[in-house]
Amino acid sequence: MIELVNVRKVFNAGNPSEFSALNSVNLTIAQNRVTVLKGPSGSGKTTLLSVIGCMSRPSAGRVHLNGREITSLPERFLTDIRRKTFGFIFQQPNLIKGISVLENVMLPAYPLGEKRSQLKKKAMQGLADLNIAGKSASKVEWLSGGEAQRASIVRALINDPAIIIADEPTAHLDTTLSYRFMEIIEKFKAEGKTVIITSHDPLVYEAAIVDRVVNLRDGRIEGGTA
Amino acid sequence: MILHPTVIANLLASCIVSFMVLYASYYGVQILRHWDIRSGDELQLILERKTYLISTLLTFVFGLQLLSLFLYIFTADVLCPLFVGAMCAAGTLNVNEFGYPTLVLKIINFILAGIWLVLNYADNQGYDYPLIKIKYLLLVFIAPFIVLETALASAYFLNMEADVITSCCGSLFSAEETAAGLGSEIAALPARTMLWIFYLAMACSLAAGIYFYLKGKGGYLYALVSLLVFGIALVSIVSFISLYIYELPTHHCPFCIIMEEYDYIGYLLYILLFGAVVAGIGIGALLPFRHVPSLQNVLGGFIRRLALASVVLYAAFTALVTYEIISSNLIM
Repeated sequence: MIELVNVRKVFNAGNPSEFSALNSVNLTIAQNRVTVLKGPSGSGKTTLLSVIGCMSRPSAGRVHLNGREITSLPERFLTDIRRKTFGFIFQQPNLIKGISVLENVMLPAYPLGEKRSQLKKKAMQGLADLNIAGKSASKVEWLSGGEAQRASIVRALINDPAIIIADEPTAHLDTTLSYRFMEIIEKFKAEGKTVIITSHDPLVYEAAIVDRVVNLRDGRIEGGTA
Repeated sequence: MILHPTVIANLLASCIVSFMVLYASYYGVQILRHWDIRSGDELQLILERKTYLISTLLTFVFGLQLLSLFLYIFTADVLCPLFVGAMCAAGTLNVNEFGYPTLVLKIINFILAGIWLVLNYADNQGYDYPLIKIKYLLLVFIAPFIVLETALASAYFLNMEADVITSCCGSLFSAEETAAGLGSEIAALPARTMLWIFYLAMACSLAAGIYFYLKGKGGYLYALVSLLVFGIALVSIVSFISLYIYELPTHHCPFCIIMEEYDYIGYLLYILLFGAVVAGIGIGALLPFRHVPSLQNVLGGFIRRLALASVVLYAAFTALVTYEIISSNLIM
Protein backbone atom coordinates (compact mmCIF):
# COMPACT_ATOMS: atom_id res chain seq x y z
CA MET A 1 0.00 0.00 0.00
CA ILE A 2 1.18 3.52 -0.80
CA GLU A 3 0.10 6.36 1.43
CA LEU A 4 0.75 10.04 0.80
CA VAL A 5 0.34 12.43 3.71
CA ASN A 6 0.09 16.20 3.11
CA VAL A 7 2.43 16.06 0.14
CA ARG A 8 3.48 19.40 -1.36
CA LYS A 9 5.84 19.96 -4.24
CA VAL A 10 7.08 23.45 -5.00
CA PHE A 11 9.40 24.25 -7.87
CA ASN A 12 11.75 27.29 -7.75
CA ALA A 13 10.81 27.97 -4.14
CA GLY A 14 11.55 31.53 -3.07
CA ASN A 15 11.94 32.77 -6.65
CA PRO A 16 9.47 34.94 -8.57
CA SER A 17 8.85 31.88 -10.76
CA GLU A 18 7.82 29.74 -7.76
CA PHE A 19 5.25 27.18 -8.77
CA SER A 20 3.35 24.85 -6.50
CA ALA A 21 2.69 21.66 -8.47
CA LEU A 22 1.15 19.67 -5.61
CA ASN A 23 -0.75 21.08 -2.64
CA SER A 24 -1.50 19.05 0.48
CA VAL A 25 -2.16 15.80 -1.36
CA ASN A 26 -3.47 12.99 0.83
CA LEU A 27 -3.88 9.76 -1.06
CA THR A 28 -3.93 6.04 -0.37
CA ILE A 29 -3.28 3.57 -3.18
CA ALA A 30 -4.19 -0.04 -2.52
CA GLN A 31 -2.06 -3.02 -3.52
CA ASN A 32 -2.90 -5.13 -6.56
CA ARG A 33 -5.17 -2.48 -7.99
CA VAL A 34 -5.07 -0.39 -11.14
CA THR A 35 -5.25 3.29 -10.21
CA VAL A 36 -5.47 6.06 -12.78
CA LEU A 37 -4.43 9.63 -11.96
CA LYS A 38 -6.56 11.75 -14.25
CA GLY A 39 -6.51 15.45 -14.89
CA PRO A 40 -5.75 18.19 -17.42
CA SER A 41 -2.25 19.22 -18.37
CA GLY A 42 -0.53 20.98 -15.48
CA SER A 43 -2.75 19.37 -12.87
CA GLY A 44 0.24 17.69 -11.19
CA LYS A 45 -0.22 14.10 -12.43
CA THR A 46 3.37 13.53 -13.51
CA THR A 47 4.78 15.32 -10.45
CA LEU A 48 2.66 13.14 -8.19
CA LEU A 49 3.79 10.04 -10.06
CA SER A 50 7.44 11.04 -9.74
CA VAL A 51 7.03 11.55 -5.98
CA ILE A 52 5.31 8.17 -5.59
CA GLY A 53 8.02 6.49 -7.66
CA CYS A 54 10.85 8.04 -5.58
CA MET A 55 12.13 9.94 -8.61
CA SER A 56 11.71 13.26 -6.80
CA ARG A 57 11.28 14.27 -3.19
CA PRO A 58 8.33 16.33 -1.95
CA SER A 59 8.88 19.82 -0.53
CA ALA A 60 6.75 18.82 2.46
CA GLY A 61 4.78 15.78 3.55
CA ARG A 62 5.60 12.10 3.68
CA VAL A 63 5.13 9.02 1.50
CA HIS A 64 4.75 5.60 3.10
CA LEU A 65 5.36 2.41 1.14
CA ASN A 66 3.92 -0.70 2.81
CA GLY A 67 4.08 1.13 6.14
CA ARG A 68 7.67 2.30 5.70
CA GLU A 69 8.31 6.02 5.42
CA ILE A 70 10.43 6.53 2.30
CA THR A 71 10.75 10.28 1.68
CA SER A 72 13.35 10.75 4.41
CA LEU A 73 15.56 7.93 3.16
CA PRO A 74 19.11 8.81 2.15
CA GLU A 75 19.63 8.62 -1.60
CA ARG A 76 21.33 5.22 -1.74
CA PHE A 77 18.47 3.56 0.14
CA LEU A 78 15.97 5.33 -2.08
CA THR A 79 17.81 4.13 -5.19
CA ASP A 80 17.55 0.58 -3.96
CA ILE A 81 13.81 0.87 -3.41
CA ARG A 82 13.31 2.58 -6.77
CA ARG A 83 15.28 -0.14 -8.52
CA LYS A 84 13.59 -3.11 -6.89
CA THR A 85 10.05 -1.87 -6.22
CA PHE A 86 9.10 0.29 -9.17
CA GLY A 87 8.98 -0.31 -12.89
CA PHE A 88 8.68 2.82 -14.99
CA ILE A 89 6.91 3.14 -18.34
CA PHE A 90 7.27 6.61 -19.78
CA GLN A 91 5.31 8.57 -22.37
CA GLN A 92 8.18 8.05 -24.81
CA PRO A 93 9.82 4.60 -24.82
CA ASN A 94 13.19 6.26 -23.92
CA LEU A 95 15.16 3.33 -25.30
CA ILE A 96 18.87 3.83 -25.86
CA LYS A 97 19.75 4.00 -29.51
CA GLY A 98 22.70 2.12 -30.93
CA ILE A 99 22.26 -0.98 -28.78
CA SER A 100 19.94 -3.92 -29.21
CA VAL A 101 16.48 -4.39 -27.77
CA LEU A 102 17.81 -7.15 -25.52
CA GLU A 103 20.59 -4.92 -24.12
CA ASN A 104 18.06 -2.14 -23.51
CA VAL A 105 15.82 -4.50 -21.61
CA MET A 106 18.65 -5.89 -19.47
CA LEU A 107 20.15 -2.47 -18.57
CA PRO A 108 18.18 -1.72 -15.36
CA ALA A 109 19.19 -5.11 -13.93
CA TYR A 110 22.96 -4.62 -14.33
CA PRO A 111 23.48 -2.80 -10.98
CA LEU A 112 21.94 -5.77 -9.15
CA GLY A 113 24.72 -8.05 -10.36
CA GLU A 114 22.57 -10.92 -11.53
CA LYS A 115 24.32 -13.59 -13.60
CA ARG A 116 24.21 -12.54 -17.24
CA SER A 117 22.98 -15.88 -18.54
CA GLN A 118 20.03 -15.85 -16.11
CA LEU A 119 19.32 -12.23 -16.87
CA LYS A 120 19.33 -12.88 -20.59
CA LYS A 121 16.95 -15.78 -20.13
CA LYS A 122 14.59 -13.60 -18.10
CA ALA A 123 14.75 -10.77 -20.64
CA MET A 124 14.06 -13.14 -23.54
CA GLN A 125 11.08 -14.58 -21.66
CA GLY A 126 9.74 -11.05 -21.12
CA LEU A 127 10.15 -10.21 -24.79
CA ALA A 128 8.45 -13.48 -25.76
CA ASP A 129 5.51 -12.72 -23.44
CA LEU A 130 4.92 -9.49 -25.37
CA ASN A 131 5.54 -11.09 -28.76
CA ILE A 132 8.72 -9.24 -29.66
CA ALA A 133 11.30 -11.96 -28.97
CA GLY A 134 12.08 -11.96 -32.69
CA LYS A 135 13.31 -8.36 -32.39
CA SER A 136 15.68 -8.98 -29.48
CA ALA A 137 18.82 -8.59 -31.59
CA SER A 138 17.48 -5.61 -33.52
CA LYS A 139 18.65 -2.12 -32.80
CA VAL A 140 15.90 -0.07 -31.16
CA GLU A 141 15.80 2.51 -33.95
CA TRP A 142 14.48 -0.21 -36.26
CA LEU A 143 11.37 -0.81 -34.09
CA SER A 144 7.88 0.48 -34.78
CA GLY A 145 6.14 2.66 -32.17
CA GLY A 146 4.22 -0.27 -30.71
CA GLU A 147 7.27 -2.52 -30.60
CA ALA A 148 9.31 0.20 -28.89
CA GLN A 149 6.54 0.66 -26.33
CA ARG A 150 6.45 -3.08 -25.62
CA ALA A 151 10.25 -3.18 -25.32
CA SER A 152 10.06 -0.38 -22.75
CA ILE A 153 7.42 -2.38 -20.83
CA VAL A 154 9.68 -5.44 -20.74
CA ARG A 155 12.51 -3.18 -19.52
CA ALA A 156 10.23 -1.88 -16.73
CA LEU A 157 9.55 -5.46 -15.65
CA ILE A 158 13.09 -6.81 -15.72
CA ASN A 159 13.63 -6.42 -11.95
CA ASP A 160 10.20 -7.91 -11.23
CA PRO A 161 8.83 -4.76 -9.54
CA ALA A 162 5.73 -4.92 -7.35
CA ILE A 163 4.53 -1.55 -8.61
CA ILE A 164 4.28 -0.46 -12.24
CA ILE A 165 4.20 3.26 -12.88
CA ALA A 166 3.12 4.47 -16.32
CA ASP A 167 3.13 8.12 -17.31
CA GLU A 168 0.73 8.86 -20.19
CA PRO A 169 1.56 5.48 -21.77
CA THR A 170 -0.95 5.75 -24.63
CA ALA A 171 -0.13 9.33 -25.63
CA HIS A 172 1.81 8.19 -28.68
CA LEU A 173 -0.10 5.01 -29.46
CA ASP A 174 -2.97 4.53 -31.87
CA THR A 175 -6.25 3.01 -30.69
CA THR A 176 -5.32 -0.60 -31.48
CA LEU A 177 -2.00 -0.33 -29.67
CA SER A 178 -3.66 1.46 -26.76
CA TYR A 179 -6.09 -1.47 -26.35
CA ARG A 180 -3.15 -3.83 -26.59
CA PHE A 181 -1.41 -1.84 -23.85
CA MET A 182 -4.46 -2.12 -21.57
CA GLU A 183 -4.50 -5.88 -22.13
CA ILE A 184 -0.92 -5.97 -20.88
CA ILE A 185 -1.96 -3.95 -17.82
CA GLU A 186 -4.72 -6.49 -17.17
CA LYS A 187 -2.06 -9.20 -17.21
CA PHE A 188 0.01 -7.29 -14.65
CA LYS A 189 -3.01 -7.01 -12.41
CA ALA A 190 -3.63 -10.74 -12.71
CA GLU A 191 -0.02 -11.32 -11.63
CA GLY A 192 -0.69 -9.33 -8.45
CA LYS A 193 1.12 -6.15 -9.38
CA THR A 194 0.01 -2.66 -8.40
CA VAL A 195 -0.38 -0.34 -11.38
CA ILE A 196 -0.49 3.44 -11.28
CA ILE A 197 -1.16 5.26 -14.54
CA THR A 198 -1.43 8.94 -15.32
CA SER A 199 -3.67 9.63 -18.28
CA HIS A 200 -6.34 11.87 -19.68
CA ASP A 201 -7.17 9.29 -22.35
CA PRO A 202 -10.76 7.95 -21.85
CA LEU A 203 -9.62 4.64 -23.32
CA VAL A 204 -7.45 4.27 -20.22
CA TYR A 205 -9.49 5.68 -17.36
CA GLU A 206 -12.76 4.17 -18.61
CA ALA A 207 -11.28 0.70 -19.07
CA ALA A 208 -12.98 -2.09 -17.13
CA ILE A 209 -9.77 -3.18 -15.41
CA VAL A 210 -9.27 0.22 -13.77
CA ASP A 211 -10.25 -0.03 -10.12
CA ARG A 212 -10.01 3.61 -9.23
CA VAL A 213 -9.74 7.00 -10.89
CA VAL A 214 -8.22 9.88 -8.90
CA ASN A 215 -9.04 13.31 -10.33
CA LEU A 216 -6.38 15.99 -10.03
CA ARG A 217 -6.75 19.69 -10.69
CA ASP A 218 -4.34 22.52 -9.87
CA GLY A 219 -2.18 20.20 -7.80
CA ARG A 220 -5.03 19.05 -5.61
CA ILE A 221 -7.17 15.95 -5.52
CA GLU A 222 -10.73 16.82 -6.39
CA GLY A 223 -12.87 16.06 -3.38
CA GLY A 224 -9.91 16.43 -0.97
CA THR A 225 -8.53 13.21 0.48
CA ALA A 226 -8.71 10.13 -1.71
CA MET B 1 55.09 36.76 5.65
CA ILE B 2 57.11 34.56 3.34
CA LEU B 3 55.38 34.06 0.01
CA HIS B 4 56.05 30.43 -0.69
CA PRO B 5 53.63 28.08 -2.50
CA THR B 6 53.43 25.77 0.52
CA VAL B 7 52.58 28.68 2.83
CA ILE B 8 49.80 29.78 0.49
CA ALA B 9 48.56 26.19 0.28
CA ASN B 10 48.49 25.95 4.09
CA LEU B 11 46.61 29.19 4.52
CA LEU B 12 44.16 28.33 1.75
CA ALA B 13 43.51 24.87 3.21
CA SER B 14 42.97 26.33 6.69
CA CYS B 15 40.62 29.04 5.42
CA ILE B 16 38.61 26.57 3.31
CA VAL B 17 38.27 24.12 6.20
CA SER B 18 37.27 26.88 8.64
CA PHE B 19 34.74 28.41 6.27
CA MET B 20 33.13 25.07 5.45
CA VAL B 21 33.07 23.92 9.07
CA LEU B 22 31.44 27.19 10.17
CA TYR B 23 28.91 26.93 7.33
CA ALA B 24 28.15 23.32 8.27
CA SER B 25 27.97 24.21 11.96
CA TYR B 26 25.28 26.79 11.21
CA TYR B 27 23.11 24.02 9.74
CA GLY B 28 24.33 21.69 12.47
CA VAL B 29 22.79 23.98 15.08
CA GLN B 30 19.53 24.04 13.11
CA ILE B 31 19.56 20.26 12.95
CA LEU B 32 20.23 20.00 16.68
CA ARG B 33 17.32 22.36 17.37
CA HIS B 34 14.70 21.35 14.81
CA TRP B 35 15.43 17.79 13.59
CA ASP B 36 12.40 15.52 13.88
CA ILE B 37 12.41 12.55 11.50
CA ARG B 38 8.70 11.86 12.19
CA SER B 39 7.72 15.29 10.93
CA GLY B 40 6.87 15.99 7.30
CA ASP B 41 7.32 19.74 7.72
CA GLU B 42 9.03 21.73 5.01
CA LEU B 43 11.90 22.63 7.36
CA GLN B 44 12.52 18.97 8.19
CA LEU B 45 12.66 18.03 4.51
CA ILE B 46 15.01 20.95 3.82
CA LEU B 47 17.28 19.78 6.65
CA GLU B 48 17.25 16.23 5.25
CA ARG B 49 18.42 17.51 1.87
CA LYS B 50 20.96 19.86 3.47
CA THR B 51 22.53 17.20 5.65
CA TYR B 52 23.09 15.01 2.60
CA LEU B 53 24.96 17.83 0.89
CA ILE B 54 26.80 19.02 3.99
CA SER B 55 27.99 15.61 5.14
CA THR B 56 29.31 14.91 1.63
CA LEU B 57 31.16 18.23 1.56
CA LEU B 58 32.49 17.74 5.08
CA THR B 59 33.90 14.37 4.12
CA PHE B 60 36.19 16.13 1.64
CA VAL B 61 36.82 19.07 3.98
CA PHE B 62 37.91 16.83 6.85
CA GLY B 63 39.93 14.77 4.38
CA LEU B 64 41.74 18.02 3.60
CA GLN B 65 42.11 18.64 7.33
CA LEU B 66 43.83 15.26 7.74
CA LEU B 67 46.19 16.02 4.87
CA SER B 68 46.89 19.52 6.18
CA LEU B 69 48.78 18.12 9.17
CA PHE B 70 51.34 16.55 6.85
CA LEU B 71 51.32 19.62 4.61
CA TYR B 72 52.12 21.76 7.65
CA ILE B 73 55.06 19.58 8.66
CA PHE B 74 56.24 19.43 5.05
CA THR B 75 56.06 23.25 4.81
CA ALA B 76 58.05 23.71 7.99
CA ASP B 77 60.64 21.30 6.62
CA VAL B 78 60.81 22.98 3.20
CA LEU B 79 61.19 26.48 4.70
CA CYS B 80 64.02 25.64 7.11
CA PRO B 81 66.84 26.87 4.80
CA LEU B 82 65.32 30.36 5.02
CA PHE B 83 65.94 30.74 8.76
CA VAL B 84 69.33 31.04 10.38
CA GLY B 85 69.79 28.23 12.85
CA ALA B 86 66.96 26.02 11.56
CA MET B 87 68.17 22.61 10.40
CA CYS B 88 64.72 21.03 9.93
CA ALA B 89 61.02 21.63 10.64
CA ALA B 90 61.76 21.86 14.38
CA GLY B 91 63.64 25.12 13.90
CA THR B 92 61.10 26.57 11.45
CA LEU B 93 58.27 25.91 13.89
CA ASN B 94 60.26 27.81 16.50
CA VAL B 95 60.63 31.04 14.48
CA ASN B 96 57.75 32.57 16.42
CA GLU B 97 55.46 31.63 19.29
CA PHE B 98 52.66 30.31 17.03
CA GLY B 99 54.43 27.41 15.29
CA TYR B 100 54.22 24.71 17.94
CA PRO B 101 50.72 25.62 19.25
CA THR B 102 49.48 25.32 15.65
CA LEU B 103 51.10 21.89 15.38
CA VAL B 104 49.48 20.73 18.62
CA LEU B 105 46.07 21.94 17.42
CA LYS B 106 46.59 20.26 14.06
CA ILE B 107 47.24 16.96 15.84
CA ILE B 108 44.14 17.38 18.03
CA ASN B 109 42.04 18.38 15.02
CA PHE B 110 43.37 15.44 13.01
CA ILE B 111 42.02 13.06 15.63
CA LEU B 112 38.72 14.95 16.02
CA ALA B 113 38.21 15.13 12.24
CA GLY B 114 39.03 11.43 11.97
CA ILE B 115 36.43 10.57 14.62
CA TRP B 116 33.87 12.74 12.82
CA LEU B 117 34.55 10.89 9.57
CA VAL B 118 34.10 7.55 11.34
CA LEU B 119 30.79 8.72 12.86
CA ASN B 120 29.64 10.12 9.52
CA TYR B 121 30.41 6.86 7.72
CA ALA B 122 28.46 4.92 10.35
CA ASP B 123 25.55 7.37 10.15
CA ASN B 124 25.38 6.92 6.38
CA GLN B 125 24.89 3.17 6.86
CA GLY B 126 21.54 3.72 8.59
CA TYR B 127 18.35 4.58 6.72
CA ASP B 128 17.04 6.92 9.43
CA TYR B 129 20.07 9.17 10.12
CA PRO B 130 20.69 7.41 13.45
CA LEU B 131 23.76 9.41 14.49
CA ILE B 132 22.84 12.75 12.98
CA LYS B 133 22.55 14.69 16.23
CA ILE B 134 25.71 13.11 17.64
CA LYS B 135 27.79 13.95 14.58
CA TYR B 136 26.56 17.53 14.38
CA LEU B 137 27.11 17.97 18.11
CA LEU B 138 30.68 16.81 17.53
CA LEU B 139 30.96 19.19 14.58
CA VAL B 140 29.84 22.14 16.71
CA PHE B 141 32.43 21.05 19.30
CA ILE B 142 35.18 20.78 16.65
CA ALA B 143 34.42 24.14 14.97
CA PRO B 144 36.12 26.40 17.58
CA PHE B 145 39.27 24.24 17.45
CA ILE B 146 39.37 24.50 13.66
CA VAL B 147 38.87 28.27 13.73
CA LEU B 148 41.52 28.65 16.44
CA GLU B 149 43.90 26.53 14.36
CA THR B 150 43.32 28.79 11.35
CA ALA B 151 43.94 31.87 13.49
CA LEU B 152 47.16 30.41 14.90
CA ALA B 153 48.36 29.13 11.52
CA SER B 154 47.68 32.55 10.00
CA ALA B 155 49.53 34.26 12.85
CA TYR B 156 52.40 31.81 12.41
CA PHE B 157 52.79 32.23 8.67
CA LEU B 158 52.03 35.97 8.57
CA ASN B 159 54.57 36.72 11.33
CA MET B 160 57.44 34.75 9.82
CA GLU B 161 60.48 36.99 9.61
CA ALA B 162 63.42 35.81 7.54
CA ASP B 163 65.97 37.61 9.72
CA VAL B 164 65.03 35.71 12.87
CA ILE B 165 67.70 33.46 14.34
CA THR B 166 65.96 30.32 15.52
CA SER B 167 67.00 27.22 17.42
CA CYS B 168 68.02 24.00 15.75
CA CYS B 169 66.49 20.67 16.66
CA GLY B 170 69.69 19.72 18.46
CA SER B 171 68.95 22.29 21.16
CA LEU B 172 65.14 21.91 21.13
CA PHE B 173 65.32 18.15 21.65
CA SER B 174 68.48 17.89 23.70
CA ALA B 175 68.90 15.33 26.47
CA GLU B 176 71.44 17.50 28.27
CA GLU B 177 70.55 18.67 31.75
CA THR B 178 70.97 22.33 30.84
CA ALA B 179 68.29 22.13 28.13
CA ALA B 180 64.73 23.18 28.94
CA GLY B 181 61.33 22.58 27.35
CA LEU B 182 59.01 19.63 26.79
CA GLY B 183 61.05 18.30 23.85
CA SER B 184 64.19 18.21 25.95
CA GLU B 185 62.40 16.63 28.88
CA ILE B 186 61.16 13.83 26.64
CA ALA B 187 64.59 13.48 25.06
CA ALA B 188 66.07 13.14 28.53
CA LEU B 189 63.96 10.08 29.32
CA PRO B 190 66.08 6.92 29.58
CA ALA B 191 66.08 5.44 26.08
CA ARG B 192 66.39 1.78 27.09
CA THR B 193 63.51 2.04 29.59
CA MET B 194 61.39 3.79 26.98
CA LEU B 195 62.18 1.01 24.51
CA TRP B 196 60.77 -1.58 26.93
CA ILE B 197 57.75 0.58 27.74
CA PHE B 198 57.11 1.02 24.02
CA TYR B 199 57.19 -2.70 23.22
CA LEU B 200 55.17 -3.55 26.32
CA ALA B 201 52.54 -0.95 25.42
CA MET B 202 52.40 -2.15 21.82
CA ALA B 203 52.08 -5.77 22.94
CA CYS B 204 49.20 -4.84 25.29
CA SER B 205 47.55 -2.80 22.53
CA LEU B 206 47.83 -5.56 19.94
CA ALA B 207 46.58 -8.17 22.43
CA ALA B 208 43.60 -6.00 23.40
CA GLY B 209 42.86 -5.23 19.75
CA ILE B 210 43.04 -8.85 18.61
CA TYR B 211 40.94 -9.95 21.59
CA PHE B 212 38.28 -7.37 20.71
CA TYR B 213 38.41 -8.34 17.02
CA LEU B 214 37.95 -12.04 17.81
CA LYS B 215 35.63 -11.93 20.83
CA GLY B 216 33.88 -8.57 20.44
CA LYS B 217 34.68 -7.68 24.05
CA GLY B 218 36.84 -4.93 25.53
CA GLY B 219 36.20 -2.34 22.83
CA TYR B 220 36.27 0.63 25.19
CA LEU B 221 39.47 -0.70 26.73
CA TYR B 222 41.08 -0.96 23.31
CA ALA B 223 40.00 2.59 22.42
CA LEU B 224 41.61 3.87 25.61
CA VAL B 225 44.73 1.75 25.16
CA SER B 226 45.12 2.88 21.55
CA LEU B 227 45.09 6.53 22.70
CA LEU B 228 47.66 5.81 25.43
CA VAL B 229 49.85 3.86 23.02
CA PHE B 230 49.66 6.76 20.56
CA GLY B 231 51.10 9.07 23.21
CA ILE B 232 53.75 6.53 24.19
CA ALA B 233 54.72 6.07 20.52
CA LEU B 234 55.12 9.83 20.03
CA VAL B 235 57.32 10.04 23.13
CA SER B 236 59.25 6.96 21.94
CA ILE B 237 60.02 8.60 18.60
CA VAL B 238 61.78 11.41 20.44
CA SER B 239 63.24 9.21 23.13
CA PHE B 240 64.81 6.30 21.23
CA ILE B 241 63.36 5.57 17.77
CA SER B 242 64.97 8.69 16.30
CA LEU B 243 68.35 7.68 17.76
CA TYR B 244 68.33 4.41 15.81
CA ILE B 245 67.21 6.10 12.59
CA TYR B 246 69.90 8.81 12.78
CA GLU B 247 72.42 6.34 14.23
CA LEU B 248 73.40 9.04 16.68
CA PRO B 249 73.00 8.60 20.44
CA THR B 250 72.31 12.31 21.02
CA HIS B 251 69.98 13.31 18.17
CA HIS B 252 66.34 13.09 19.30
CA CYS B 253 64.57 15.24 16.69
CA PRO B 254 61.13 13.94 15.62
CA PHE B 255 61.22 16.07 12.46
CA CYS B 256 64.52 15.19 10.77
CA ILE B 257 63.09 11.72 10.08
CA ILE B 258 60.77 13.23 7.46
CA MET B 259 63.74 14.43 5.42
CA GLU B 260 65.05 12.90 2.21
CA GLU B 261 68.27 11.79 3.95
CA TYR B 262 66.22 9.31 5.94
CA ASP B 263 64.06 8.22 2.99
CA TYR B 264 61.09 10.20 4.32
CA ILE B 265 60.58 7.36 6.81
CA GLY B 266 58.98 9.79 9.27
CA TYR B 267 55.96 10.34 7.04
CA LEU B 268 55.29 6.61 6.93
CA LEU B 269 55.71 6.28 10.69
CA TYR B 270 53.36 9.18 11.41
CA ILE B 271 50.75 8.04 8.87
CA LEU B 272 50.66 4.58 10.45
CA LEU B 273 50.47 6.03 13.94
CA PHE B 274 47.76 8.61 13.26
CA GLY B 275 45.71 6.13 11.22
CA ALA B 276 45.90 3.60 14.04
CA VAL B 277 44.80 6.00 16.76
CA VAL B 278 41.85 7.37 14.76
CA ALA B 279 40.62 3.84 13.99
CA GLY B 280 41.16 2.82 17.63
CA ILE B 281 39.30 5.77 19.14
CA GLY B 282 36.64 5.39 16.45
CA ILE B 283 35.75 2.03 18.00
CA GLY B 284 35.03 3.71 21.34
CA ALA B 285 33.03 6.43 19.60
CA LEU B 286 30.79 3.90 17.82
CA LEU B 287 30.29 1.24 20.48
CA PRO B 288 27.46 3.07 22.31
CA PHE B 289 25.40 2.93 19.10
CA ARG B 290 25.80 -0.73 18.12
CA HIS B 291 22.27 -1.55 19.31
CA VAL B 292 20.55 1.24 17.36
CA PRO B 293 17.97 -0.71 15.27
CA SER B 294 18.95 0.66 11.86
CA LEU B 295 22.66 0.07 12.54
CA GLN B 296 22.76 -3.20 14.43
CA ASN B 297 23.24 -5.28 11.29
CA VAL B 298 26.05 -3.18 9.87
CA LEU B 299 27.81 -1.42 12.74
CA GLY B 300 29.29 -4.58 14.26
CA GLY B 301 31.11 -5.36 11.02
CA PHE B 302 32.35 -1.80 10.62
CA ILE B 303 33.65 -1.67 14.20
CA ARG B 304 35.50 -4.95 13.64
CA ARG B 305 37.05 -3.55 10.46
CA LEU B 306 38.17 -0.49 12.43
CA ALA B 307 39.71 -2.75 15.06
CA LEU B 308 41.51 -4.74 12.39
CA ALA B 309 42.75 -1.55 10.71
CA SER B 310 43.99 -0.13 14.00
CA VAL B 311 45.76 -3.37 14.98
CA VAL B 312 47.34 -3.77 11.54
CA LEU B 313 48.54 -0.13 11.51
CA TYR B 314 50.02 -0.39 15.02
CA ALA B 315 51.62 -3.71 14.10
CA ALA B 316 53.07 -2.18 10.93
CA PHE B 317 54.38 0.78 12.96
CA THR B 318 56.01 -1.59 15.46
CA ALA B 319 57.46 -3.72 12.66
CA LEU B 320 58.90 -0.64 10.95
CA VAL B 321 60.43 0.61 14.21
CA THR B 322 61.88 -2.84 14.86
CA TYR B 323 63.35 -2.95 11.37
CA GLU B 324 64.95 0.47 11.92
CA ILE B 325 66.43 -0.69 15.23
CA ILE B 326 67.75 -3.96 13.80
CA SER B 327 69.19 -2.39 10.66
CA SER B 328 70.73 0.55 12.56
CA ASN B 329 74.47 0.75 13.22
CA LEU B 330 73.76 2.32 16.59
CA ILE B 331 74.29 0.06 19.59
CA MET B 332 73.00 1.28 22.92
